[in-house]
Amino acid sequence: MKETENLLLLIAGITLLAVAAAHAGEEGYSYGSIEGKSDTCLACHRDGKAVAPRYRIDTGQYNHTSHARIGCAACHDGISPGHPADRIVSKKTSCNQCHRDTAEEYGRSKHAGKASCGDCHNPHQVSAPEEISGQEMNRMCASCHSKEAMEARHAAWLPQADLHLGMLPCVTCHTASENYLITLHIIKRDGDNPYGEFRLATFAELDKLAEGKDIRSLIDTNSDTYISLEELRQFNQKQNQRLLRLQGVMVPEQVTHDFKALESRWNCTFCHASGPKAMQRSTLALPERNGSFTRIDVEKGAVLEALGSTPDFYMTGATRNATLNKVGLAIIAGGLVMPVGHGFLRFVTRKNRKERSHRHE
Amino acid sequence: MSENKMIYLQPTPVRIWHWLNALGIVTLCITGIQIRFPEFMAIFGSYKTAIMLHNTAGIVVSLSFSLWFFYYKMSGKLAKIYVPKPDELKYGLVRQAFFYFFRYFRGDPSPHHATPDNKFNPMQKSAYLAIMFVLMPLVALTGILLMNVTPLRELILLSGGLKILVAVHFLLACSLGAFLFTHVYLATLGRTPTAYIKPMWSGWEETEGDEAEVHH
Repeated sequence: MKETENLLLLIAGITLLAVAAAHAGEEGYSYGSIEGKSDTCLACHRDGKAVAPRYRIDTGQYNHTSHARIGCAACHDGISPGHPADRIVSKKTSCNQCHRDTAEEYGRSKHAGKASCGDCHNPHQVSAPEEISGQEMNRMCASCHSKEAMEARHAAWLPQADLHLGMLPCVTCHTASENYLITLHIIKRDGDNPYGEFRLATFAELDKLAEGKDIRSLIDTNSDTYISLEELRQFNQKQNQRLLRLQGVMVPEQVTHDFKALESRWNCTFCHASGPKAMQRSTLALPERNGSFTRIDVEKGAVLEALGSTPDFYMTGATRNATLNKVGLAIIAGGLVMPVGHGFLRFVTRKNRKERSHRHE
Repeated sequence: MSENKMIYLQPTPVRIWHWLNALGIVTLCITGIQIRFPEFMAIFGSYKTAIMLHNTAGIVVSLSFSLWFFYYKMSGKLAKIYVPKPDELKYGLVRQAFFYFFRYFRGDPSPHHATPDNKFNPMQKSAYLAIMFVLMPLVALTGILLMNVTPLRELILLSGGLKILVAVHFLLACSLGAFLFTHVYLATLGRTPTAYIKPMWSGWEETEGDEAEVHH
């Protein structure tokens, strides 16, 4: 239940941050730093013993958010002078005071009235869309929409519904975002068991594998904050491939809150056709200590390469490899050599067989 | 003038299997092209329809392949019909190739005469051995894995990943497609262009009296 609550709050956080980011882009607008904005409150609320667990704030996650830059009091504006002795719980500012556009968009959606911002987002743990994984996005949705029910519903029209729902964030289709990019995550077998289930690798797990170096060094071997195709190939060839693998997820460039599937999404070839820009661009999402993710640009065309770069990411029609196409064409052309070459000689020498046939008659 | 004889060359189950396979494989080839190159080909309408047809045809051909295997295995003819003997590999292949690429053009008869127990010439045997015992099982196996990516993920990882599997499936399919052209063309190399095709429809092949081994 707590996890559900947190995840729902996380979505609300993304909403908040998306609007915040839009404002942050405006000239001269700044939230400033987090210094001194929440210290008084966090003196107690960072400590699990001083406050009830539900009021505890994880400072690692909170300080990473934009909300930390406006401080607790910006939202909790009703704190009584006798707090906490009088046990009067502070009032909360509603999200739409800052996130008006998102709130209006959400208000028009089917979700409006069924889930509040806080049901999906935790404002104390918000991350930007590019800072969370596809799995995390889906966990927010799964708190209301069970995986089994959604698979059954999609299977009525979608081939390999389990694969689609397992590999894509729901918002990849249920979005107004026109463009996509491929996000690569490092996944790891549970508990180092060679037959364990693959889960998103955590910072702690990768930190241990990096043996004291920055976890980027596991894949960005020349530390240039850019992942080349060669670095991807090297990562895939390493001995720990049984435990670690790269998983590609198609994510929308923008997160919207209408959650309506655009008409184009019902057409399979929207994704399953070669050459969409989304297939060219990819980023690697590496977990951070505070639970968010850092994105590192990956060389263009990683998911289009035949084998080495992203061995587990293939979308029929979309990520077909041009070299393999040529090899396939050469094989088929080879099959035509016999009919064409032999057929030509057969035509030229047809009289010989006619003569033989007459001899037999 | 020599008297022509009729021999019963293709039993009914084999003929049903052959034409079911033919329909299935042609469907697989066309839908396969649409699945890989959707922007260039949409002969079966939507992408989803092409996927469904491809999967259905794949299952039908796989089942038909299994039936073929058990039918011949149970009849005890599998090795006799499909596995070339040492002599056939040593001399028969060269003799048959010499016929196809030289003697045929002179109008000479084929050195191989088909009988129900020895239907294929050494070249056919070698080709079918590779196709029926290597290419077909592999293309079916990779196809089954690709149809069930989520439940069979561990097997896919063992094979090296999804892309390797797709590449193998695609190249095998191209090889089978290439064989299809040769297969259809070679089927027209009988005494008349339809002499080899008719028995696959009716079961009976007409052979020249001096060539046939008559079976009662």
